[in-house]
Amino acid sequence: MSKSKLGATALVICLGAGLASADTNYGPYPITLKGYNGMKSNSVSYTGQIARHVLHDSVKKLAGTGDGGANSGRLAAEILSYFHGSDKNKSIIAPVDKGEFNIKQETLNEISSGKNLSGKTYKGVINAWPGQMTGPDVIVSMIKKAAATKGGFDPVTGYNYPQLISKFTMGAVSYNQTVNNYLDGKLAADSKPNNKPYKEGAYYTGKEHSWDEAFGYWGAAAHSLNLTAKQNYDIAKMKDLSAADANGDGLVDLKSEYNFGHAYYGAAFDKGGKTTYFNTITKSFIDGRKIIANAAGEKLSDGERAELYALAKVIGDNWEGIIAEAVFKYAGSVYKDINKLQDALSAGAETDKIYAAYGKHWGELKGFSMALQVGKNNLGATAAELNRLIGFGPVTMNNSYVTGVDTNGNYAMDRRRAWGDYQLHMLKIQKMMADEFGVKARNNDQLSELEALASSLSATESAETD
Amino acid sequence: MDFGDVINHIFGHFINPQKRIFFGYFCLSFFIGFTWLFVLKKKSVRTSLAIIFSRNVWMGRSAKVDYTIFILNRILTLFISPSLITQLAIATAVYFWLHGVSWLQVGAFAQWPKPVIIALYTIIIFVIDDFSKFFVHMMMHKLPFLWSIHQTHHSAETLTPITVYRVHPLEGILYALRGSVAQGTTLALVFFLFGSSVSLASVLGINVIVFVFHIAGSNLRHSHIRIRYWRWLETLLISPAQHQLHHSIAVEHYNKNFGVALAIWDWLFGSLIYSQADDAVLEFGLLEKGVKSNHSAWILYCKPFVHLYGCACSLLMMSKYQIVKFLRYALKILSVNL
Repeated sequence: MSKSKLGATALVICLGAGLASADTNYGPYPITLKGYNGMKSNSVSYTGQIARHVLHDSVKKLAGTGDGGANSGRLAAEILSYFHGSDKNKSIIAPVDKGEFNIKQETLNEISSGKNLSGKTYKGVINAWPGQMTGPDVIVSMIKKAAATKGGFDPVTGYNYPQLISKFTMGAVSYNQTVNNYLDGKLAADSKPNNKPYKEGAYYTGKEHSWDEAFGYWGAAAHSLNLTAKQNYDIAKMKDLSAADANGDGLVDLKSEYNFGHAYYGAAFDKGGKTTYFNTITKSFIDGRKIIANAAGEKLSDGERAELYALAKVIGDNWEGIIAEAVFKYAGSVYKDINKLQDALSAGAETDKIYAAYGKHWGELKGFSMALQVGKNNLGATAAELNRLIGFGPVTMNNSYVTGVDTNGNYAMDRRRAWGDYQLHMLKIQKMMADEFGVKARNNDQLSELEALASSLSATESAETD
Repeated sequence: MDFGDVINHIFGHFINPQKRIFFGYFCLSFFIGFTWLFVLKKKSVRTSLAIIFSRNVWMGRSAKVDYTIFILNRILTLFISPSLITQLAIATAVYFWLHGVSWLQVGAFAQWPKPVIIALYTIIIFVIDDFSKFFVHMMMHKLPFLWSIHQTHHSAETLTPITVYRVHPLEGILYALRGSVAQGTTLALVFFLFGSSVSLASVLGINVIVFVFHIAGSNLRHSHIRIRYWRWLETLLISPAQHQLHHSIAVEHYNKNFGVALAIWDWLFGSLIYSQADDAVLEFGLLEKGVKSNHSAWILYCKPFVHLYGCACSLLMMSKYQIVKFLRYALKILSVNL
């Protein structure tokens, strides 16, 4: 696309966005803090959360760059410098320019300095992963293991570390921080009140910034509600610059024009037309922010906070729905991959690529399932059953699978499981996601064809006899 | 559910091609019946129409009971059907179970040509469904407690296409469960082995073989038009005349022709009889102590419960010896038929 066409397109989008901005853009919102005398005119601020999305994307990218062990020490240190944060102004590893999709920022400090992931990772014990470790310990362990593999994949265990790290981190940081902190404790009357600055010297109020930070963790572009699900999906895939570039400068500003994290997955499911996760969540954030802005720097009333709690519940429920949809989708992928593996084995064909794809999909399944368990709701027996069905590791080529980890961090693989049994587990996971979480997009549904076949037969309500 | 929905539920079968009493099949059955009488039986047009639309048949006391039970059953299904296990629930359970069978592999025959898979599934589901109907029907005649509820159907003294709905609600439930088990199990097994290529060859939303069964005059089974097939064909397919023999009160016709579409089951189980060439009038209904009994819908609904209560009481009062004797008797009946 030529620069003139690009500019014209961006201008049209800008004008359109401007007309609809009051209801469909997240910001700008006025400064409402009483007594503020500075030059700021927009109270919106969530760059710290965007920086964490970039840290996550960079960690994921780096986790797939191992050369089989020779560079493991250096690589592990490099990845951990993104996970724990660094005093240095680190380069952004991902997302970076892709064709005409040019990213405005090249270093993390251009977004926000001094940020890390480990400090915001869920601190509870992760029962879904071997070793009874806390959230940050699990990710550190995965990062070290990833650095010792070739391309992030360990064929012995079937672990695809970039996927495991990414999908779990998105849940343990963004999802957990939002639903357990910003949209929960920080909505309380005495926590971060709206008639005081968020912190000493801030130009935004306590509630404004709490809500903004939650929106930042959600990861949607500020203008995303003006776009279709397909456009929002294509932004995250770096395919649609015109949709992303809201201000028409020819660059994608990661701070406001890009779709990160679970927002991307929400758009991915919504483009199928059966769900509206992305718009529901984004609109709820905008509606909530307007309530706070309209309070004009006064302490929020109980009624206003009740409205925010109601919106927070909508956000939390839909966010959980997105993760459940992902679990459903990748359980279906794993099921299909096993079919492909069995076909290839029966035919004596090459299995390496199929097995790698299987490991990738399993990593996504496991990571999302772990993310599902660090939300606001205690999933109790559902989580226990989900972990039992998925196991600590996928069934590998010799039918063994990870059953635990020793004190040296070596995985035990002392049991075997038949492929058919594991496929049954995938079906049960899909059924669980449908029954317990009401998933609707149902990508890769392995039971829908059976349902369609059943519906093609005559109904049981007839009392016909002979 | 508003009143319109209820009316639609009760009478919707007349406009539903998945049901035997769909008006299209009705019209075709009338046409086949007329052709049989006018062309083959050399009856006049007036006589043919008089036989088909006989007031004694369509507006007789038995037919009115048919209509009453039809409406009552349709209303009852509103409440009963939602709580019955569906073929999908059974199919899902069986499909899950099959994954644990070590010597079976998902999609083991998925590479077969799609037309072959479709044809195979369409035939298998029809054959198994038909056999399950035959078997349950046979048991309803052989086992006393099932016969007590199946009597409702055989109490019809004139046969109309609506007689197919003249069943006790318990029989309706039993047949629905039969359909769920037979269809659910079959489709799970076929889908497990053949994968996503499986689909039903259908016309107007029903199995193409069942569609042929309906357009070939399935409604004439419950009618007074004695359409016969060639003997060889009556060994393969149950003709309307053969099913009418099944309803006959003549002793020589007792417990014969249980089949619905296929006659081979009766042939295999020794219960097949062929239609007769003579035009002797068949009498339908029930004999109680040698006398034909008339029943209201209310009596027909209640009587089976009285019978079942009697069966239960007898069972409870049985000594161990009697229970063993009863079980031996039941096994004997089953082994004779199997």
